[in-house]
Amino acid sequence: MKTTRPILLAGCLFLALAGTAPVHAAVDEAAAQALAKKNDCFKCHAIDKTKKGPSYKKIAAKYKEKKLDEKEAIKQMIEGKKVKLEDGSEEDHKIIETKDPKELSNLAQWILSR
Amino acid sequence: MKKTALFLSLALIGMGSALAADPAKIDWGKVPAVNVPLFYPGQSSYEWLISDAHKGAAKETKRGDACAFCHDEPDAEKDIGNNIVAGKRLEPTPVKGKNGYLELKVQAAFDDKNAYLRFQWATKSKNRPSIDYPGYRFDGKEWKAYGGPQLNADVLAGKKPAIYEDRMSIMLDDGKVPNFAKQGCWLTCHDGERDMPKLATKEEVAANPLMKAIKRADVRKYLPASRNDPSDWKTGKTVEELARIKAEGGFVDLIQWRAHRTNPVGAVDDGYVLEWRNFDAGKNHFASNMDNEKKQPKFMFDAAKFGAKALTADDFGKKDMFLIKGVNAVPFDPNAGWKEGDILAQYYLSAADAAGSAADNKGTGVWKDGMWTVVMVRPLGLTNDDDKTLKAGGVYSIGFAVHDDNITTRGHHVSFVRTLGLGAKADIEAVKLP
Ligand code: HEC
Ligand code: HEC
Repeated sequence: MKTTRPILLAGCLFLALAGTAPVHAAVDEAAAQALAKKNDCFKCHAIDKTKKGPSYKKIAAKYKEKKLDEKEAIKQMIEGKKVKLEDGSEEDHKIIETKDPKELSNLAQWILSR
Repeated sequence: MKKTALFLSLALIGMGSALAADPAKIDWGKVPAVNVPLFYPGQSSYEWLISDAHKGAAKETKRGDACAFCHDEPDAEKDIGNNIVAGKRLEPTPVKGKNGYLELKVQAAFDDKNAYLRFQWATKSKNRPSIDYPGYRFDGKEWKAYGGPQLNADVLAGKKPAIYEDRMSIMLDDGKVPNFAKQGCWLTCHDGERDMPKLATKEEVAANPLMKAIKRADVRKYLPASRNDPSDWKTGKTVEELARIKAEGGFVDLIQWRAHRTNPVGAVDDGYVLEWRNFDAGKNHFASNMDNEKKQPKFMFDAAKFGAKALTADDFGKKDMFLIKGVNAVPFDPNAGWKEGDILAQYYLSAADAAGSAADNKGTGVWKDGMWTVVMVRPLGLTNDDDKTLKAGGVYSIGFAVHDDNITTRGHHVSFVRTLGLGAKADIEAVKLP
């Protein structure tokens, strides 16, 4: 199933019609969630409550505030860099089990549009 | 089975409980139902859970965080069960075709005398539930174990037929077992136990001080508090320390309805877990049919009532084969002309023999259209030192397990822990009967 957020859709349509930029694929929500589920992301991140990791809403807000983009989020998924926990300790972040740039981009966009 | 079982059980439940509801007459249509997802856990022992193999969750699990804090995404149980049952991890000997997931419908009610728990689930077999039990087969000289549960090595190797009884089990705590409210049954599931990693050898068990003291030949479910190192079954506390923990209520109740060994006599067993999975004091509704001194069965079937003095391999999966004292059992006659291939039951049943705390629980199960409907009846206000006392207004932590399709040990489907409230706010709220 493809769900498209109206604004994104409008934007894409506009861009596509204007022909000034590459066609921007809309977020495939179902694919993003399936990938996250398969990779145990939801065990530590919920959409809007704090679990072991911050909620996707909080992550999206932080990225907006700090003007970080999807590249940064993808780095988090593929590099397994250290994350800081509430209790001050650190551990390696989960490394996602895909290298497909399209899948990664779609998931990053989904997270950042929460 | 149907008629005798039903008759006996109704008579029993009615006995001595004038104010109690007849569970067969409870209008379950008016009692809310909660669907509890059950999943196949494989060898996800407590030791695995607190190891680095449980990625990103070892520290949290060790410090007692709730499983459901992390495992709460949609279909969490289904995904875990399907992964494990297929042998992707935590299951060294996958059982072909086994389902990873099962939905259990739970309803609860209570009155002044009892709590009534009703369970419904679909069995894998749509033709016949697993109501048989392994037997003793005469090989011309000796009576030897015949058949076994699906995870048994000989059964996996195709050397023995798969035979075991279906079961519906609950573990229940009243808040006295640390972390049970968050981690439920996994507190009792450890390496070293039967069909688990690092299975304890006979020699290790024989050399172990606690096992010697409690006269046990294998390692079974135990609570962390019963060991000095909760992850090492060998580090048992002293019998005196264990007695103190038990007296303080630091054990969980383990209650099982069994399709072969309790259902035909209207019973549900009563046990508890502390340093082992013990039965309560007194006498069970079922007892071993082996006379260990004479090395022969104690009872055989009454041919006049059963149609034959023994079973044959052909009867399994077809004939109701419950050996019930006072109904269809007569003392074993060694001179009855035994032939190779004759099979007798490993257990005989007797509601009349059951006594003490072990005989507290009653219940019945009926299988129809591929579905078991089981009602457990648990008296309120029990004061035995091996029982959790249920009372109106109480809230308890409860874990559920179903053994389906000729299997035992880890081959069950289990739940994350839930709460049960008797007329109190909880995941499963028992309704007060009029
Ligand atoms: C074992 C728990 C755990 C799992 C599994 C997990 N994460 Fe995280 N994740 C964390 C924690 C903890 C943080 C917080 C890092 C911090 O604030 O420093 C985090 C942070 C993040 C961030 C924000 C990074 C930033 O720059 O602030 C993203 C994006 C993220 N995770 C995505 C994912 C995805 C996608 C998955 C699945 C592939 C995943 N996480 C699986 C625990 C987890
Ligand atoms: C801090 C969060 C957290 C807690 C608490 C937690 N888990 Fe996990 N669990 C995870 C994560 C993340 C994974 C996936 C990582 C992995 O595969 O090892 C996982 C994987 C599992 C798996 C393997 C599932 C599969 O599909 O492969 C089982 C079984 C499991 N957990 C059971 C439990 C039980 C039982 C408890 C409670 C006693 C528990 N977990 C507590 C986060 C948690």
